[in-house]
Amino acid sequence: MDKEIEQGYNEILESLRKRSLWILHYCTGCGAIELPPTMTSRYDMGRFGIVPFVTPRQSDILIVTGYVNIKTLRRIITSYEQMLDPKYVIGFGSCSINGGIYWDSHSVIKKLDSYMPVDLYIAGCMPRPEAIIHSFKHLMELIDTGKADGYRRYKENYDFYRKNQRKVLGKWR
Amino acid sequence: MNLSILTLLLTPFVGGILAYLGGLIHRSVRFAFAFLFSLLTIVLVAGYYGSKIDSLIYGRLFGSLLVLQMNSLSWLLAIVISTIFLMSTLFSIPEMEETPHVNAYYFELFFLEGTMLGVVLAGDLLTFFVFWEMMSWVSYFLVIKGTKESSQAGYKYIIMSLVGADAALIGLTLVYLKTQSFVFVNISSMLSSQSPAFIISVFALFAINFLIKAAIMPLHTWLPDAYSEAPSPVSSILSGVLEKIGVYGLFFFVFVIFGMNLFKGIIPNVFGDSLIFVVLQWMAGLSILFGTFLAILQEDAKRILAYSTIAQVGYIVLGLSLNSTLGVAGGLLQLVNHAIFKSLLFFVVGGIIYRTGTKNLSELGGLIKKMPVSFISMLLGIIALAGIPPLNGFAPKWMIYQALIQKKSVLLLTIALIGGTGSFLYVYRLIHSIFLGTLPEKYDNVKEVPLLMQIPMIFLALLTIIFGLFPGIPLTAIAKVQEFIGMTPIRFTLTGFPQGSALSTLNIVKISGTLVGAFAFAFLLFVSLPKTRRVSQYDNYAAGQVVTKYTKYNYSFGFYSFFRDIMNPIFKLSADEIYTEFTKFMRVLGDHIRRVYTGGLETYVSYIVVIMAVIFAFVVLGGRIW
Amino acid sequence: MVEKILLAVLVPLFAFLVGIFLEGFKRKMVARIQRRYGPPLIQPLLDIIKLLSKKDNISHGLMFDLGPVIALSGSILTVFFIPTPGFKLLSASGDLVALLYIMVIGSLGMALGAGESGNPNASIGIARALTLMLGYDLPFVIALSTVILKFDTTNLYEIVAAQSDLYWGAFLMPITAVVAFIATYGAMGEHPFEVVVAPQEVATGPMVEYGGKHLGFLMIDHAFHIYIELALFTDLFLGGASNLGYFFLKIFGLHILLTFFDTVYPRFRIENAVRFFWRWPTVFALIGLLIVMIGG
Repeated sequence: MDKEIEQGYNEILESLRKRSLWILHYCTGCGAIELPPTMTSRYDMGRFGIVPFVTPRQSDILIVTGYVNIKTLRRIITSYEQMLDPKYVIGFGSCSINGGIYWDSHSVIKKLDSYMPVDLYIAGCMPRPEAIIHSFKHLMELIDTGKADGYRRYKENYDFYRKNQRKVLGKWR
Repeated sequence: MNLSILTLLLTPFVGGILAYLGGLIHRSVRFAFAFLFSLLTIVLVAGYYGSKIDSLIYGRLFGSLLVLQMNSLSWLLAIVISTIFLMSTLFSIPEMEETPHVNAYYFELFFLEGTMLGVVLAGDLLTFFVFWEMMSWVSYFLVIKGTKESSQAGYKYIIMSLVGADAALIGLTLVYLKTQSFVFVNISSMLSSQSPAFIISVFALFAINFLIKAAIMPLHTWLPDAYSEAPSPVSSILSGVLEKIGVYGLFFFVFVIFGMNLFKGIIPNVFGDSLIFVVLQWMAGLSILFGTFLAILQEDAKRILAYSTIAQVGYIVLGLSLNSTLGVAGGLLQLVNHAIFKSLLFFVVGGIIYRTGTKNLSELGGLIKKMPVSFISMLLGIIALAGIPPLNGFAPKWMIYQALIQKKSVLLLTIALIGGTGSFLYVYRLIHSIFLGTLPEKYDNVKEVPLLMQIPMIFLALLTIIFGLFPGIPLTAIAKVQEFIGMTPIRFTLTGFPQGSALSTLNIVKISGTLVGAFAFAFLLFVSLPKTRRVSQYDNYAAGQVVTKYTKYNYSFGFYSFFRDIMNPIFKLSADEIYTEFTKFMRVLGDHIRRVYTGGLETYVSYIVVIMAVIFAFVVLGGRIW
Repeated sequence: MVEKILLAVLVPLFAFLVGIFLEGFKRKMVARIQRRYGPPLIQPLLDIIKLLSKKDNISHGLMFDLGPVIALSGSILTVFFIPTPGFKLLSASGDLVALLYIMVIGSLGMALGAGESGNPNASIGIARALTLMLGYDLPFVIALSTVILKFDTTNLYEIVAAQSDLYWGAFLMPITAVVAFIATYGAMGEHPFEVVVAPQEVATGPMVEYGGKHLGFLMIDHAFHIYIELALFTDLFLGGASNLGYFFLKIFGLHILLTFFDTVYPRFRIENAVRFFWRWPTVFALIGLLIVMIGG
């Protein structure tokens, strides 16, 4: 009985929580240019309670907007680890999926998923604001069904992620 | 013949001599004597609680009686003096252990206490002046025992003190020539037959002396240097009590010796107040404003406290010079409470210097993890200093504001309130740069200060709480003082002010009770939510950059640099520079006169001696000046 | 007794609900001015629930934890001392002068907590907040002195009572009321005085290291803060109110006015903000004071 109450309580909490998601205002690649129209009057993501915030401590979503080179990866991981659970990662554009047009580059990582758990990818180069809005809606569904559990996967497979990070970054801290 | 006043007065002197001699045997003997005799002084002073005027005629000189007397005003001062001295003695034990001449230090410390008690217990002008002069010199010797720069600071201090003391000496001589008596009680009646110009000049001569000691703008320039370079226990004495002696002298002369009746016919009224009071109010207002603004910009912990002393003593003088029941009570309460919290803050900063070896704020930081007792003491100290309820800085400020509102002096009220807001800036700077922020790596092994230093801090911190929650305790003694100076005593309850005592009622215990209730609610809500996890100070937001111990990631230098930009046009005017220019001019002059006189300190003193001799000759030959 | 306890719970609750509603309404209103749809009205409440239910919270030390707690308790304490219709429990325990100092308790807690985070952005934010406070306090204090002089009392309830029957402070001393409104506006840290938080400059200043339940506490505190500033202005210049409905309407009107300014202004630099307050508002505050001193 107690368990049921707790589960019900958690469900209610999750359904409330998904309506307030704050993005970490941190932009890596060219994809960041698609965020301003998404925020402002034309598409207005604020109506879903999604607003950009400044520091990782305050934010829930890390959007990796575009390609990630090795220097940037270090900052992204630091920021990701400073965020508080529950936290979600959205891979944005084809670069974060497989390197995109930077496939041959020596300084760009190809698969973001090896370094941090990605909950959701948005395909395209570039994805339009409609696609971004759609991804947010989808993320809310994932949160509702409990599938957006990247932060748990990061803790469980910490060694795996750490090993991959070390491979490109060396012993960096 | 009742000799108990004499016993009380001699106790510190005997203590000093015994501590000095004991120190020659072993340091523990010295500590034992020092502790015992400072405790004994408190006990003897406390024994006078509630008694009316007690006086003792101990001699006769130049045809005048020499008198010691204890009244409720001097009792108030004496109890503050002896308490702060006991704390300071305890604090000195670890602090001064390694210094050379430590025996002489205790000797001088006790002599300073003795001379201060002598000043407040004096019943005639001569005793007053002799003890006053000794006090200046002994405190000078104590000041120069501090840092390397302290000899220069002490030089400045003693020069200004000498100017004041000589002014007072001239005043004393004039009074004696007219009245043939030094005794306080005779002076008032005898002066009433004199010409107004004479009375005003005598008063002005004494007032200069007192205002220099009380460091009221623009006579404050000795204070920041002397306070910041002196040893910490001495700084807390200077700020806690020595300055109060100046204030005491001023108001003892205004209210008791000269008396308001004497001034009434002579001095014109401005804005419904005697001109003397208006001048004093505005000097105090200036001290509050500029003391606060200058304190905000200091980079040195002790200098912040020194400038804030100027501002806080401004509140005392402001309250007292309002000459209303509420104002005088507020001023006296601020006098007692300022002694408590300012000494506390000087002790904490002294402890920091003792452990880290620096008072430069930009080199400190993050010490809360290492020195929790000091942190809590300083937190209580700054809350009291800023006048935030429920600690003891609140009630006096509230009373002074109420008194200002009663007088309808709105501009002074604005200045006082802005001074209050400004004090938040510098107290936050103080606690932030020392205890908060990033802990530099070099202080990884810093420990809490030794127990003997903690005891004075804890005791005074408790006093800030007790006197804060129950302002009725000190106000009991203050109401007696008001009776003594012939004023309607203030109406109060243990926890605040009832209907009719001020414009509005106040109950500090209810305020703090509500605060505790609100805090309990918020705290319970906080702990019932998911737990927190402690992270290292290097796990910090730096826009994704990794902070390491090699990164200087701290904001402590030039904390209010933008405030300096705002205030720049005003800070170009400096009283200190006027004095420096004057000194330069005197040096050039001295170069020419040096053929007659030897250089240095003596030269300056000699000028004054010559001037005095001229006045003397004038009085003696001419018989009358006016 | 039961009634008293009930009041002691209901008054902060009222303050919180008003504050949170105004915050939500403001976000909607700003969105409409910018031709957006805007978040739902209860969005601030959702944000707070989200923050309070975060599964992971970090701390930099004891003061870091206590900071938001003291901030919130200071705000609740202040709410008790602001005259609210139908609530008179603590009217005899403090007055306008005491209120000025009581209002600082919460800010002090927050400043200490932010200081302990060890982040320079937080320290700069606090330094700016205190300097700005010195800025808007000068006209505000003069305006308060004018009010005290006009009504000849410092008791807040008596000040409210003296303004009955449309003898509002704003009608009796219009210049002072405008100045006090500007100062209140600065105290709320809205544009163009948003120098403390300034996300683009100092990364939300004092809040930089706060997340999770700490930030949730600070947002609750912010809701209280909106209520406190506007309710104080209402009590001093708009004659308080006879019941909670009118009281709310007056606050609501003020807040709408304030949001219009907030939406269209950019941000001052801190020096300019302080200089602004020390220039025209102070001059006009002095003029208002002079009028009251002469006119009585």
